[in-house]
Amino acid sequence: MPRLPDCELLYLSVRPENLILTNISVPPIAIRPSVIMDGSQSNENDLTERLKQIIQVNATLRQDLSEGSAAAKFLENWDALQAHVALYINSDVRGIPPPKPGEKQYSGFIQRLKGKQGRFRGNLSGKRVEYTGRTVISPDPNLKITEVAIPIRMARILTYPERVSHHNIEKLRQCVSNGPDKYPGARMLRRADGSTWQGLICFYYLCGHVSIRVSRKRLADELKYGDIVERHLEDGDIVLFNRQPSLHRMSIMCHRARVMPWRTLRFNESVCNPYNADFDGDEMNMHVPQTEEARTEAILLMGVQNNLCTPKNGEILVASTQDFLTSSFLITRKDTFYDRAAFSLMCSYMGDAMEHNDLPTPAVIKPVELWTGKQLFSVLVRPNANVRVFLNLTVREKNYSNKLQENEREFETMCPADGFVCFRNSELISGQLGKGTLGNGNKDGLYSILLRDYKAHAAAACMNRLAKLSARWIGNHGFSIGIDDVQPSDKLRDEKDQKINEGAKDCDDKIKSYKEGNLPPEPGCDAAQSLEAVITGILNKIREETGKLCMKALPWRNSPLIMSQCGSKGSLINISQMVACVGQQSVGGRRAPNGFIDRSLPHFPRKDKTPAAKGFVSHSFYDGLSATEFFFHTMGGREGLVDTAVKTADTGYMSRRLIKALEDLFVHYDNTVRNASACIIQFCYGDDGMDPAHMEGKNGAPLNFERLFLKAKATCPAGGTEKLSPEKVSELVESRLSKKDMTPEGGCSAAFKNSLKSFLDNYVKAFKRTWDPCESTEGHAKMENSATTKNIVLQLSGATARQLEVFLDTCISRYHSKKIEAGTAIGAIGAQSIGEPGTQMTLKTFHFAGVASMNVTLGVPRIKEIINGAKKISTPIITAILECDNNVNFARIVRGRIEKISLGQVAKSIKTVMTSRVASVVITLDMERIQDALLSIDANVVRDSILQTPRIKLKKEHIRVLDFKKLEILPYESNRSKLYHHLQFLAKMLQNILVKGIKTVERAVISSEKDKKTDISKKYKLLVEGTGLLGVMGTEGVDGRNTKTNHIIEVQQTLGIEAARTCIIDEIEYTMKSHGMSIDTRHMMLLADVMTSRGEVLGITRFGIQKMDKSVLMLASFEKTADHLFNASVNGREDKIEGVSECIIMGIPMQIGTGMIKVRQRVDVPPMLSYGPKPILSS
Amino acid sequence: MADDDYTEMDMGYEDEPPEPEIEEGAEEDVDNNNNDDTGGEPIEAEDKADEEPVEHPRKTSKYMTKYERARILGTRALQISMNAPVMVELEGETDPLEIAMKELRERKIPFTIRRYLPDGSYEDWGVDELIVEDSWKRQVGGD
Repeated sequence: MPRLPDCELLYLSVRPENLILTNISVPPIAIRPSVIMDGSQSNENDLTERLKQIIQVNATLRQDLSEGSAAAKFLENWDALQAHVALYINSDVRGIPPPKPGEKQYSGFIQRLKGKQGRFRGNLSGKRVEYTGRTVISPDPNLKITEVAIPIRMARILTYPERVSHHNIEKLRQCVSNGPDKYPGARMLRRADGSTWQGLICFYYLCGHVSIRVSRKRLADELKYGDIVERHLEDGDIVLFNRQPSLHRMSIMCHRARVMPWRTLRFNESVCNPYNADFDGDEMNMHVPQTEEARTEAILLMGVQNNLCTPKNGEILVASTQDFLTSSFLITRKDTFYDRAAFSLMCSYMGDAMEHNDLPTPAVIKPVELWTGKQLFSVLVRPNANVRVFLNLTVREKNYSNKLQENEREFETMCPADGFVCFRNSELISGQLGKGTLGNGNKDGLYSILLRDYKAHAAAACMNRLAKLSARWIGNHGFSIGIDDVQPSDKLRDEKDQKINEGAKDCDDKIKSYKEGNLPPEPGCDAAQSLEAVITGILNKIREETGKLCMKALPWRNSPLIMSQCGSKGSLINISQMVACVGQQSVGGRRAPNGFIDRSLPHFPRKDKTPAAKGFVSHSFYDGLSATEFFFHTMGGREGLVDTAVKTADTGYMSRRLIKALEDLFVHYDNTVRNASACIIQFCYGDDGMDPAHMEGKNGAPLNFERLFLKAKATCPAGGTEKLSPEKVSELVESRLSKKDMTPEGGCSAAFKNSLKSFLDNYVKAFKRTWDPCESTEGHAKMENSATTKNIVLQLSGATARQLEVFLDTCISRYHSKKIEAGTAIGAIGAQSIGEPGTQMTLKTFHFAGVASMNVTLGVPRIKEIINGAKKISTPIITAILECDNNVNFARIVRGRIEKISLGQVAKSIKTVMTSRVASVVITLDMERIQDALLSIDANVVRDSILQTPRIKLKKEHIRVLDFKKLEILPYESNRSKLYHHLQFLAKMLQNILVKGIKTVERAVISSEKDKKTDISKKYKLLVEGTGLLGVMGTEGVDGRNTKTNHIIEVQQTLGIEAARTCIIDEIEYTMKSHGMSIDTRHMMLLADVMTSRGEVLGITRFGIQKMDKSVLMLASFEKTADHLFNASVNGREDKIEGVSECIIMGIPMQIGTGMIKVRQRVDVPPMLSYGPKPILSS
Repeated sequence: MADDDYTEMDMGYEDEPPEPEIEEGAEEDVDNNNNDDTGGEPIEAEDKADEEPVEHPRKTSKYMTKYERARILGTRALQISMNAPVMVELEGETDPLEIAMKELRERKIPFTIRRYLPDGSYEDWGVDELIVEDSWKRQVGGD
């Protein structure tokens, strides 16, 4: 039937009469299997039951019809048939009464499809697989980071089908003859001719139903090329290793198998981080890829060594943890020395005594040769001269003192706490190694730099060596924690008590002055709030100070102290809570609430605001908590528990939505980012096409120039070559930067070029500053002197041509190698990078935006708001920059213009006047107050605003301005009997009339930024709570160009879609940053681009995702499965199976990554051979 | 000893590749850089880069992406595991993947990559034409 034009117009694929069911489909028995219970009973599928009912009703209906019974009865059956057919398709269809309790609810077709366990999400998008294993995990520092120990029991069950070729025939012969139970054996043999042999005691030949016993020995001997042997897992096999929840791609990585005794899966602790695993009973899963292609892709793309750093922000993720950090910290102490025996022993720890190690020159030669612990790390990084690893780095560890020397210089290597880690050409010059250098989550630590400069292999080898060394060393050295580690000394106890008493007294004073009403209010707070703020401040200070006290009092060998210093476990707060004082317990961000009338617990007097009554715990965990303190502590603890329980569900759903919205996006060969239907989302990924996983610099900059420059200087020593003068340097730089690979056509972004240039300009400038004075000195006597100073300057800060060239070449070539590769699924990566940090955020946090009283929602709820594109957000705040930002009075004036002021607030009186002649309402303004608040309001302004107020029905002639502060309003009611009530009504209405300000604004607060140095010069700006960006921007005195809001939809409505995009990026970044999480801005850009690319802000919700032209199958696998399928069938939608979800559902490879290309065999045309006799005359 | 170490290291620089190889012709470039000559060589390398697009009017990157590498090695490893003739001298390797990697290193894999652009057109690149970024230290797991 040809498609009719009116159908097309109605967006229907077929004529609507076809939508009426005349036949119902009955699926084959495989779809609705009947389960035979023991004996003769069988359990039928729900569909079968429903079909049975339909047939029954149908039969009765037919009988009724043929018998011609009463219409009422027959209509009843008619309806029943209708209902049953509807229920067959959808068992909770609307309009049909739900089944009575006790009666079973049969599931319909739709129930089988939808939901998490339904066909779409449960069976099509996620499938159950074979060749998997799961057990408890445990640590093993002797394994390499790329390895995982597989228990031998598992290895005997899991198999890999290896095809017999002449490389492996001997090995496989042995496997076959060992059979399925002896370890390097095989479970099955598949001959090239299709016959299979499944092994038990000996192999059985399975062909049809016949099984023949054939001895394994014979099968092994008869093994031919092309046979497939399902052999046991062996050392070096490739397995995927995974721990749920799989929040990012590093949650499933590829390891090499190591078959080992016992029952647990084991791996190096350095790999705990990406899996977020610990060994308190965690279980993990493993999978064995079954084809050569799968193994190759797994090891090359998912291998641990290729995923050392996270694409979230380029920080290293696989790095040393816990004990490794502690032992490195202890080994590199300044006062540790080892004699030849000890040092050699430790050297051999790290390579199992299998590696060749060059012993460095001892640090002390007489009276005995002694080596320092720091030298051991030089050996660790570069075991022998053949290893060409020249590590150069400087890190400021946590205990680096930021104080300056007397000459205003930093201590650097002379840091008293030895916190300045400096490696030069793989020699540890100074610094005690801790988390900053060896731990995860940094960009200039030891492993990050090894990874960037010498590739993954070097970093992995170093991690392996450190793991072995530290596990063995700390096993001998011993490290434990006991009760005496947390025992405060008497002195500390006294000092602590004194501190707490002081604080309590302080609080009492404040409470007293609050009761007397003398407490100066904080901006935007009332007295009670100010008191809370002040007291909280004092109490926090107590904890901090007692913490500091106990830090000072603890001896250097205190184990908790060591652990917190090196960053392996615990913080200073944890220690001071154990030793000194637990501190204030908070519930919902404030002190303990009043669970009883006006008090938190009945142990305290009513309205008590003292620290102890509101949840301040002054004891330490060592002291033990008092009963009330304990109760407060549980209150705080419970909140934390509830928080984690709630947020996992919340963030999980958020991640799912993000993934569904972004999964199709990837980088094409023309560097554009497109979705499944090839619509362009970004022309160049992240505006510069760089890969976030490879970013070295801060804030997503590709390179850290300073470090590279230092490295270039260190790795190619000047020797005798002359150093360049500043002018020469600029010249050389110019010539290099004008080459082709630094032009936009050569693939270099202007931003990178500028950053490189500005770095070198700064260098030249600084160099000139030291250079010029020695240049300009005149006089013959000084000439010689200047020559020497010049030399010194050159030696100190000069660079040779070679160094400069190496630096520039390194920078440029490295920049080019950091481009994002075509085929990268940046959508999924971006979604994970935003979703994963969400799980680490505490659910409800508020944060003060400049002023104590102004709270901003943060954490997961805020991220949710942004991502959902919420029309109404919980704390909209407009930050208004002032045209003149150094004057409080100016700020106050502007605030007066913005904040809404009702007539009642500025009127001294609103009186009704009734005389025999005239009846009116007289308003008198409180001019003093108006002047004080710097408002520009007078009677005329009031009149205008009354006239502008809708629904008040007052016209111009009704209002008479008596003088500048008085006006009279005449009623429009003429009926004298109603006049009195009318006047009262008017007076009440007038109270609430808006005289000045923006209606949608709740309030405005002046916030001032103190200059850090001078503390005087302040910058004022206005924080406006509420919406109405347009109004605020248009207010006189506000710099509209710099005024911002955190309400994305409002930004879109007032400033347009591009502004909304920027707003999304900024807001996500701000929220993440305030939780101490850094995410590469490119991920946010991508998300913002997806949300805004349709010209309106689309939330990442089911409504938004629907509009992002997604395919039917993808939408069906997301939410509202049935609705999408019905709509699609009515409209005759097609699905081209282009996206990721669709391909997974259909079980075909997707066009992303390795599936994006096609590989063709190059057939070399064989040379033409002529079969005639050779030519007689050949050259 | 320490002094020895230091001088050793000085010389060490000379054969240390100055970072990820620059541009194409990576191998040659390294050698050039290692010669004491500093000025001329890199420029020469640039000229080569200029010629490239003239020879091939293709727009996509001349670097092999890691996905292409994985796909090619996977396909080739499958072939080798099925007893395909190996294109390189073996030195005791038995793992098909390892043999495939060796072949790629020596640019002996007889494949052509067909890169599809979003408009449906494609570019063909021989495996031997593409620059493989990775340093040829063993990438895979163990030492």
